Amino acid sequence: MANTVTKNIRVFFSKTGRAIYISHLDLYRLFQRSIKRSKLPVWETEGFNPHVYITFALPLALGTAGLCESLDMKLTEDISREELISRFNDALPRDIRVTDAAEPVYKPTEISMSEYEANFECDGAKFAEFLASEHIVTEKKTKRGITELDLKQHLTVLEQGEGYLRFTFPSGTEFNINAGLLFDAFEKQAGEEIYSLRITRTAIKCRNGEIFR
Amino acid sequence: MYKDKLDRILLKVQKPSRYIGGELNSVEKDREKVSMRFAFCFPDTYDIGMSHLGMKILYSLINEVPEYWCERVFMPLPDMEEQMRKHDILLYGLESLEPIRDFDFIGFTLQYELSFSNILAMLDLAGLPVWAKDRKALTPIVCAGGPCVCNAEPIADFVDLCILGEGEEVELELMRLLEQCKAEGVTKHEFLVRAAQIEGIYVPSLYEIEYNPDNTIKSITPTEGAPYKVRKRIIKDFDKVFYPDTFVVPFSEIVHDRAVVEVLRGCIRGCRFCQAGYLYRPFREKQVETIEKETISLCETTGYDEVSLTSLSTSDHSEIERMLATLANYSDAARVNLSLPSLRIDSFSKELVDRIKSVRKSGLTFAPEAGTQRLRDVINKNITEENVMNSCKIAFEGGYTSVKLYFMLGLPTETVEDIEGIAELCQRIIDLYYSLENRPKGKGIKIAVSLSTFIPKPFTPFQFEPQPEESVIRERQKHLMEVINTKKVTVSRSHFDVTHLEAALARGDRRLSAVIYAAWRKGCKLDGWTEYYKYDKWMEAFKECGIDPAFYVNRPRSYDEIMPWDHMDILLTKEFLIRENMQAHEAQRTPNCREACAGCGVNRCVGRPCFRYG
Repeated sequence: MANTVTKNIRVFFSKTGRAIYISHLDLYRLFQRSIKRSKLPVWETEGFNPHVYITFALPLALGTAGLCESLDMKLTEDISREELISRFNDALPRDIRVTDAAEPVYKPTEISMSEYEANFECDGAKFAEFLASEHIVTEKKTKRGITELDLKQHLTVLEQGEGYLRFTFPSGTEFNINAGLLFDAFEKQAGEEIYSLRITRTAIKCRNGEIFR
Repeated sequence: MYKDKLDRILLKVQKPSRYIGGELNSVEKDREKVSMRFAFCFPDTYDIGMSHLGMKILYSLINEVPEYWCERVFMPLPDMEEQMRKHDILLYGLESLEPIRDFDFIGFTLQYELSFSNILAMLDLAGLPVWAKDRKALTPIVCAGGPCVCNAEPIADFVDLCILGEGEEVELELMRLLEQCKAEGVTKHEFLVRAAQIEGIYVPSLYEIEYNPDNTIKSITPTEGAPYKVRKRIIKDFDKVFYPDTFVVPFSEIVHDRAVVEVLRGCIRGCRFCQAGYLYRPFREKQVETIEKETISLCETTGYDEVSLTSLSTSDHSEIERMLATLANYSDAARVNLSLPSLRIDSFSKELVDRIKSVRKSGLTFAPEAGTQRLRDVINKNITEENVMNSCKIAFEGGYTSVKLYFMLGLPTETVEDIEGIAELCQRIIDLYYSLENRPKGKGIKIAVSLSTFIPKPFTPFQFEPQPEESVIRERQKHLMEVINTKKVTVSRSHFDVTHLEAALARGDRRLSAVIYAAWRKGCKLDGWTEYYKYDKWMEAFKECGIDPAFYVNRPRSYDEIMPWDHMDILLTKEFLIRENMQAHEAQRTPNCREACAGCGVNRCVGRPCFRYG
């Protein structure tokens, strides 16, 4: 098998159930092994220690599920979309499923925000009050240390119900907010505990408003 | 099922993926369609337990039976234990996420003595009484296997039964018996009486132990028809033995994160301190073709890029060269690395160095074990200084600049000269390095000496020997540090606190159950972890129980003393161990099994000589 690139490919996958506890670093190793098992014609680096070359568009926070995650890789042979998906899925653990594969349209640097859906149990009135407050100040860990951040400035609520919230936060290589921070902030501000919190990333969008493809 | 509860706590603990299962190749079955559920417990953390080969073998073996379901269980670290207790989550199986209290079997594998307290911790977390006598129902049956059950006495009061020897056959026999007993609705006692009739099954509660006034054992008496001696199980046709065609692949990195193929079982060497060398007899090999088939299957189904050819001494395989050549054909094409742990110094050829080097250039490790030829003869480590020097020369000329050397301190008959011999050997290796024309250019040599402390173990010729007193051990460690006067050599040594407890537990009797219980009540668990080990609590526990650890650790035992493990038959005779002990005191070596039969007695069970001689 010649190691020459014929095609760039973006593989879309979901990460749900037990797989939400896989860290980003472990996910990288998981995909490397899965590709090895699948024997898909994926381009490998040509250094001293050859390994399949994959890059993820946008990391997903530990504990958050994702329905539209993606990784980029290079193929060395043409292969149908259907075969790629099925061979990939045969080699992956149950809770990570490849849903689609296509040539990349946008660059990962064009990503600007993510849409999330959250289901949880807590005092509904208190949560509504929390969302309505003028500032939601929290601490964010960055490379330079801990900085203060007003989540309210960046939050767009799309839909709100009892124990249910659909919202967007900025995402991307430049600036990214972990969706879980919103609920941590509520627990801190309201002194209430949130139970059975499930957050799912349902869409990733680009600066031009289009879905990241 | 705890999935919802776990979702509430897992983000509060370190590395949550190890507590949730769902890894590739893990086996999930329909609970309504299984008749026997087995919780395979490794009494240490996931990262360590998942590296253990025995668990992988038995996990696959049980799960091959459609109506049996085996799940994995590990010891949670304190942050997870705290969350589990706070949210009423009992210890659960990683596959079903259901409490193991409701399973039929809870099986522990005992790989090292310092995991004993974890058995109690895990039973308690499972919501079960820790004492066997307090668990009245037929199920779950708590059993134990692994090397430490050759002397299971210290934990005898906590487990219902032990499995002596290799589990690949007896495991299923035992499960079938319980399945039958469940259907008949018999009592737990009746099941245990019947189980004791299966070869390899030891039911501690069916044995009465009497003691002499001096605390040594007076008699061991079986009751209810249990055998006078429990005979170890072995797999006769090792080449055909069940081997998993795939492994569960963890999400997170574990200690040994690679495929593993067992190439042989047993050891021909007869090093007198080494328990494994006696426990795993007779020596049996897999054929090269079998090894090749298993290697390919594991690599293809796991996606691992490294395979380790494991055994007590892989280079003793009669066809090692052909094995490596055959496997290289596959591994080169599939870009899989071969790794060969436990190479012996005297079998270290240039071909082997090149083979390992082409894989990865890490350090080399040799185990001379003792600093002088006399002491190496005492322990029957049949290597000479010439072997050591030759191997180092090949390694240095092959580009290596660092070696790690294993030594043991406190061996029987050891004197100060033997300690100084370690320093002298290191110096001669350094001199050798600088005498070589073609040594790696511009690089200095580094020798890392790892100095462990000798621990006398059951079923070795040194089972009669004392471990030296604390003062002697500390004095000799100090002396070695003084006589090593070069920065090219670094020494790491084992902590006295840890070896002392291990020595007590290794050759302990049934009275130590009380000590283990008391120590656990004081918070002792995860004793293999420096950050959690509480030596002072253990010593308090000994004191409160009126037991002096020195009785087990520092007392020479006579040849005719009844050992706590004398009712175990690991297929070699006590006469052989005594003969070997006498040879040791005369610094007489015993040839390896391939050169000449040493008459250990195991060939009685094989039904023929282990090797074809001359």
